[in-house]
Amino acid sequence: MNMVQQFDPAQLDLSQDYGTPAMNSEVEVTVHIDGMPVTVPEGTSVMRAAAIAGANIPKLCATDNVEAFGSCRLCLVEIEGRNGTPASCTTPCQEGMSVKTQTTRLDKLRKGVMELYISDHPLDCLTCPANGDCELQDMAGAVGLRDVRYGTEGANHLAGAKDESNPYFTFDTSKCIVCSRCVRACSEVQGTFALTIAGRGFGSRVSPSEQQPFLESECVSCGACVQACPTATLQEKSVIELGVPSRKVKTTCAYCGVGCSFVAELRGDEVVRMVPDKQGGANAGHSCVKGRFAWGYAQHQDRITTPMVRDSIDAAWREVSWEEAIGFAADRFNAIKASHGVDAIGGITSSRCTNEEVYVVQKMVRAAFGTNNVDTCARVCHSPTGYGLKQTFGTSAGTQDFASVQHADVMMVIGANPTDAHPVFGSRMKRRLREGADLIVIDPRSIDLVRSPHVSAEHHLQLLPGTNVAVLNAVAHVIASEGLIDEAFVAERCDRVSFKAWEDFIRLPENSPETLEAVTGVPAATVRAAARAFATAGNGAIYYGLGVTEHSQGSTMVMAMANLAMATGNIGRLGVGVNPLRGQNNVQGSCDMGSFPHEFVGYRHVSDDTVREQFSQIWGVTLREDPGMRIPNMLDSAVSGRFKGLYIQGEDIAQSDPNTQHVAAALTAMDCVIVQDLFLNETAQFAHVFLPGTSFLEKDGTFTNAERRINRVRPVMTSRTGRSEWEATCALSEAMGYPMPYESAAEIMDEIAELTPTFAGVSFDLLDKLGSVQWPCNDQAPTGTPIMHKDRFVRGEGQFMTTPYVPTDERSTRKFPLLLTTGRILSQYNVGAQTRRTDNIVWHSEDLLDIHEADAEARGVKDGDWVEIASRAGETKMRVRISDDIPAGVVYTTFHHPVSGTNVITTDNSDWATNCPEYKVTAVQIRPVSEPALA
Amino acid sequence: MANQIAGGVPSREDVAGQVSHHMRQFWTPEMLKDLSDIATNKPDCIGAEVHAALAAL
Repeated sequence: MNMVQQFDPAQLDLSQDYGTPAMNSEVEVTVHIDGMPVTVPEGTSVMRAAAIAGANIPKLCATDNVEAFGSCRLCLVEIEGRNGTPASCTTPCQEGMSVKTQTTRLDKLRKGVMELYISDHPLDCLTCPANGDCELQDMAGAVGLRDVRYGTEGANHLAGAKDESNPYFTFDTSKCIVCSRCVRACSEVQGTFALTIAGRGFGSRVSPSEQQPFLESECVSCGACVQACPTATLQEKSVIELGVPSRKVKTTCAYCGVGCSFVAELRGDEVVRMVPDKQGGANAGHSCVKGRFAWGYAQHQDRITTPMVRDSIDAAWREVSWEEAIGFAADRFNAIKASHGVDAIGGITSSRCTNEEVYVVQKMVRAAFGTNNVDTCARVCHSPTGYGLKQTFGTSAGTQDFASVQHADVMMVIGANPTDAHPVFGSRMKRRLREGADLIVIDPRSIDLVRSPHVSAEHHLQLLPGTNVAVLNAVAHVIASEGLIDEAFVAERCDRVSFKAWEDFIRLPENSPETLEAVTGVPAATVRAAARAFATAGNGAIYYGLGVTEHSQGSTMVMAMANLAMATGNIGRLGVGVNPLRGQNNVQGSCDMGSFPHEFVGYRHVSDDTVREQFSQIWGVTLREDPGMRIPNMLDSAVSGRFKGLYIQGEDIAQSDPNTQHVAAALTAMDCVIVQDLFLNETAQFAHVFLPGTSFLEKDGTFTNAERRINRVRPVMTSRTGRSEWEATCALSEAMGYPMPYESAAEIMDEIAELTPTFAGVSFDLLDKLGSVQWPCNDQAPTGTPIMHKDRFVRGEGQFMTTPYVPTDERSTRKFPLLLTTGRILSQYNVGAQTRRTDNIVWHSEDLLDIHEADAEARGVKDGDWVEIASRAGETKMRVRISDDIPAGVVYTTFHHPVSGTNVITTDNSDWATNCPEYKVTAVQIRPVSEPALA
Repeated sequence: MANQIAGGVPSREDVAGQVSHHMRQFWTPEMLKDLSDIATNKPDCIGAEVHAALAAL
């Protein structure tokens, strides 16, 4: 009987380790493994082919997320017609090859190899933290090792030191078998190259940087080395303390917009560790320090788990029952409605809560409150993405999946710092760059990608803050004037009239690099070189972040990028596209769920009679057709005395929104502020009702990441508050006269799917079956849509939009001669509410102000000095770090610590179309001050 | 805000039309009324295109 086993990727059990990476060749070869025929892509290792065939060859140095190394000599095989016993991990399959994986000779060799390994390894299995979870132990058993004939009197490494400097894992050198998996994981998977093998021969040892403790090295604590280690050499401290986990739950990270899939491993109800899921569509088994290790905030002592109320913000909080808290909130909101009208109240949805939790909040606002005054934190980050991409392409989301970057020939990274803010995706980018793709960085700062191990930007356009549109117009001018437009793509796919108008505009001399050089600070030659590189590469992909959107021309810049992508034909296939790097775990989902005041779920305008009628039918209530207020409008209206009540789900606007003084004044002016959150955050200082929220470990629902991927969030532990967040919201809605009697989060998603064409095929059952799915997911795309606009744009033809550069009003002056821009760092997340309550604090205990040496010297400021930073909005104090990552005239800081007061100095300048705050451009002055007294 | 919208809209043709479209899409009735009051009581505070946009609403 012909038992040829064809390689079918769909049948692979992705949780298994196949030893070496998969190959993508379209040519296939058939080999025989122990007499069984197996057909695999050309280039597949013998080890992997054997594993597919079910013959698992013993291995120690091989693992399938890094390239083969051939060092452990355990995976030897016999190949007919070849001398010796080659390593199966480094031997590619060839047509007709016949392999034996088990022979007497191989058994003897493998036992000998294991005997040598065990002779230099502590024999403390019964007390070792990896007992039962150790590949060395497994291989000793697999090869049938019964005896170690070598004594312990000779030289050995059993007295090796243990490095416990990292807060999350230990490095016990006495257990290291120098398989180099950790070194390869750090280089190939993470791309940091923090680890190496120091010494030679018997003296070879794994070395973090220059044989430094891990905490002092270049290690970024992604955990890839811990994941790769086959022994207890690199071991999570939580496993040492709590023991090997006994059960697992798959869920999704609640930090950034990459949306990594994790397997929560527990003992009972206690999380022992979070392990990145190999089958994760977004992360493919990789992680960063936050998702991997910084989940302890969920059980921090600061967690509030009981509802609280108070009559005024000056009074003390009272702990009350859920019923009393809901009743208190409902009474206050109903009273406000009666006195001031329905538009005097509203809600803000969270970008950290699930789609289902967000959906019920916006539904409550529209149906129970009777207003469209609902908004979301995307207002302050990617609302321009929604506006700009809708105008040009017809839909408000990124065009590709993350895997697309593996096909890019040139990447243009604008206003983003992916190695810090989207680390797992940043690692993917670095891998592609090491393979030879080119990189253009448009950023005032020298972000890590500009120059890091084995990666550097061919073109760094180091522009002045606030000049994005000018730079991109200059790039487009070069492409248009030098005949580099993809005329065929434009003719076939784009609106001819708008293209002509744009082309006429962009060719104007005022848009040339030479004319704009004085404005942007970027030499014309640099712009020309970058433009040619982007236009002539096979596949050009644009990746961007808040350095694009958080500007007075944020929406214009998004449209400019869309224009560039269309003009160069870089849409609708792998390796290209316009890719917003969305910051938060569910900011995409929050927008999808109708959190904007002018749109229902699925980005349909509230004035659309047909859509509104459909919602009215399903929701059983008449809905408003006029748009509601955005967050800035709500705050302005509160200060003027007309807006009186606000329900805030999982957002800390008193810390995250600009012009803190204005936010505080607005919140203080309200009669009822309801905060639903994990901790008493800055906004809670102004609240009358605190409804305790649930962490991601307690949630049941879905998140949607930056690539439109809908992932399941599964409850790992029971809710510490006694109910889920959506139940709390529904209870308030019912108390205000509009019941929402859902039985489960799955039922909420079913309603979303019923109402939303792009979500029509989504259900918890589908997600359990497929793992995740990228919307649109419907009859036309039953398994989702990784790449959008393949044959046509969502709006039909792509629309070009002219993008005249309008300088921001926020300019440096004699009084405020420096320009402040802000950003994030790897170890902390947004306002730090979660990460400050974990051991990540060891890497960033305070926000610092980065300043160029020349600017510091001119002000008599040295590294570490305290300074006052003043803008026209206010002033705050920070310590300084001298840095050459930023040019003279620009200063930079983060906003992870509320005490820094970064948003005390940011202004209320905003994007013309969406009111997204202009966080990235604030004119400031610095002066040295003494260290502030502790409060 | 209205002046900024007039300055930010993509095309310099029919700015008033673009501004009125934007306000219809995103502004609440109360905000439109506030702007109308400003247009009446402090007409110099807003640009000609915004006046035209309001007239078109």
